[in-house]
Amino acid sequence: MTQVKKIIASGLTEAEAIERAKGGDAECFEALYGLHKRRVYSLCLRMTGNTAEAEDLTQEAFLQLYRKIATFRGESAFSTWLHRLSVNVVLMHLRKKGLPEVSLDEALEPQHEDGPRKDIGARDNVLAGSIDRVNLERAIESLPPGYRIIFVLHDVEGYEHNEIAEMMGCSIGNSKSQLHKARMKLRELLKLSRAEKAARR
Amino acid sequence: MNCKEFQEVLPYIIESGGNAEEEEHLRTCPACAELVQDLRYIATQAKLLLPMHDPSPRVWTGIEQSLHQESLLREGRTSLWGHVTSIPAPAKSWTPVGWVMAALVLTAFSLVLINYHPQLPTTAPSAQNMSAQPVPLEGDDQQLMGRVSQQAPDVRRAYEDNLREVNAYITDARQAVERDPEDAVAREQLQDAYQQKQMLYEMATVRTLP
Repeated sequence: MTQVKKIIASGLTEAEAIERAKGGDAECFEALYGLHKRRVYSLCLRMTGNTAEAEDLTQEAFLQLYRKIATFRGESAFSTWLHRLSVNVVLMHLRKKGLPEVSLDEALEPQHEDGPRKDIGARDNVLAGSIDRVNLERAIESLPPGYRIIFVLHDVEGYEHNEIAEMMGCSIGNSKSQLHKARMKLRELLKLSRAEKAARR
Repeated sequence: MNCKEFQEVLPYIIESGGNAEEEEHLRTCPACAELVQDLRYIATQAKLLLPMHDPSPRVWTGIEQSLHQESLLREGRTSLWGHVTSIPAPAKSWTPVGWVMAALVLTAFSLVLINYHPQLPTTAPSAQNMSAQPVPLEGDDQQLMGRVSQQAPDVRRAYEDNLREVNAYITDARQAVERDPEDAVAREQLQDAYQQKQMLYEMATVRTLP
């Protein structure tokens, strides 16, 4: 909720708080944490799908922020800079875990059962108007990790494929391909969820 | 062009549209048209998702402990809470009246949540979609907008936008709870949404008290 910042910043601007935090002012750093914790944590949670991991990564992201804030030159918005820093923290963590989605392009290839061909000739009601945020959040959480990360970065967080490719060390084509398969998988999950709810009624 | 050929180039069509042959297939094949519509819909709705979750207080505690251990925190901290009103401790500068009003707001929202006993819909739900259409602000929300009416235009707009966003989230979460009252995740999201709304009310209260 970026606009909330405009509402709550009643005296010092964020820029002034950043400058003071650069000088080691802990209160200003705490204020910056308050302003950005929700977005950073939500990013971590959506990328990992795990509350405990997301909290650890949020902590790590803000620790890195404290250590690196002096290098912030204002060339981009602070929120953009912090967001990118946080994404890198999450990706670094996932690399350490050895998840395939951040190792080799080959590992990013889809499972055959998730390919688009299964939809050939299939007719069903369109999803438009039938999904809500809760269902969509839940479906994203259910995505396989590789799909989830690309989907969150591109469709939720708004990163471009070239940025994702750079961050994840894969090709732009792979990023596009993974995104498409993530959306296909989401469609399948959302339709399944809708069918299950209909059956319960 | 058949469906198989069409779906092989689907990622590019979704991103930048298709050529004449692909567009023709899209017009004449209902299954592929539905698929494209769904994928575009999913992408559109994902952009509307908000950062909804707050980390637990243990995260900040952990950050503080780590910074102390690394001796990164500067001694003799200058208190800035009188200047920077930020989320962690906005109430430090509240007047007693502010506390009372915030408590009332919190109590009201808590009561709504606690006493919320959803009725199962007797007809198929028709408003489950994540509509981007603006919904009129009513009741307490109108009062809140009245409360911030003296603020700068961009602040008023920010309040209004945030109210609409959080109301839409509440609607979605409430419908999810109605569909399945035992759904703990949906209940948690409903609670999160009310907490966000509560925060907006608190901020409006703090800014308008003498």
